[in-house]
Amino acid sequence: MSAPFFKFGLFGDEASLLVAFAIGIGFGFFLERAGFGSARKLVAQFYLTDLAVFKVMFTAIVTAMLGVTYLGWMGVLDLSQVYLVPTFLWPQIVGGLLLGVGFVVGGYCPGTSVAAIATGRVDAIVFGLGIFGGTLAFAEAFPLLQGFYASGAYGERTLPELLQLPYGLVVFAVVLMAVAGFWAAGKIEAAFGGKEDRA
Amino acid sequence: MKRPSLGSLTLNQKLALGALALGLLAVPARPYADARVTLDTRELAMLVEAEADHVTPLELADWIVQGRADHRLVDLRDQRSFAGYHIPTAENVPLSDLAAQRLPATETLVVYSDGGTHGAQAWLLLKARGLRAVYNLKGGLEGWKDEVLFPVFPVPPAPDKPEYERQASLSRHFGGTPRIGAEAAAAALALPTPQIQADPALAPALPGDVKPLAKKKKKEGC
Repeated sequence: MSAPFFKFGLFGDEASLLVAFAIGIGFGFFLERAGFGSARKLVAQFYLTDLAVFKVMFTAIVTAMLGVTYLGWMGVLDLSQVYLVPTFLWPQIVGGLLLGVGFVVGGYCPGTSVAAIATGRVDAIVFGLGIFGGTLAFAEAFPLLQGFYASGAYGERTLPELLQLPYGLVVFAVVLMAVAGFWAAGKIEAAFGGKEDRA
Repeated sequence: MKRPSLGSLTLNQKLALGALALGLLAVPARPYADARVTLDTRELAMLVEAEADHVTPLELADWIVQGRADHRLVDLRDQRSFAGYHIPTAENVPLSDLAAQRLPATETLVVYSDGGTHGAQAWLLLKARGLRAVYNLKGGLEGWKDEVLFPVFPVPPAPDKPEYERQASLSRHFGGTPRIGAEAAAAALALPTPQIQADPALAPALPGDVKPLAKKKKKEGC
């Protein structure tokens, strides 16, 4: 049995919606369990008092990366069939900065806002309305943004390709970086945190 | 600082050590499927014998006329030959590019080159890469010319013979000319211009609907 299952025809377009639904529920569950349904915990990231978001993100990255590497190495997963987001350098940098600003001001990012809406938080609902408003504004302004939107196109690039290093070495380097990051995060939290109220 | 024993580590520290170990073990990993493949020789031999490895030019002509969008037609030759003439709806992907491309295993490809050789070799390469449905055009472009564009009818057949009518209309649809009689068969005919597309407005009435071609692109990502 070869993965990705969808690419090998195990299920079709309709079933894939159900699969996405199930995965979405799992995603929301883990977000909520990590405490990311609370705007206070999310924004504490930026005040360096509670770096849980960083730790959870990097745990997920390392787990997924190691899983994908080993499954691909064993031949169970056909890595060439896995979708890679193409690089559009400048729009992605600008978009990331915009998302970051919105994150600090609003207290949520898109996924966590939906998880918070599910628990009935009003500020998350307002944030959700903001997402719709922003999407609408973007769509209406798209003819003006189109040029910039498609600029800096480098295609699908991976770190091993970019750094001209063997794949496995980059994997190890990322794990090393993540563990170092966790250790540093602990130090930073100890330095800045402590008096923050628990949400 | 004295080293803590393994038992006194917190769960997080144990997980971090585990991740580091797995990361270290992953250093020699080569997870991307190589250019090296494994072949199931029996399966491939069976496909060849069962004639499931190719389509005939007439079948392909029918598919194009019906406007079927469930396959990709690939011309394996170089750009110049492609520009000179290519089968309508074909894309130009030279053989070496095809081998390097990332193709979903669920794609259906029909490949052709001038004769049947490169097409057959491409069939083998793509099958080895795991593509489920690949077909070589039997006889390649030469077969297309002989059977679709310039079919030969040795004696003038009765005008009410349906087979003749069908083949003749197919031939004209693609810009070719049916040849009747032994002398006509001997004459070499010029290829139609490559701009001939399956145009529903101009096409004579043929068995089956003539729908405009719709390429369905799989949407991915956010």
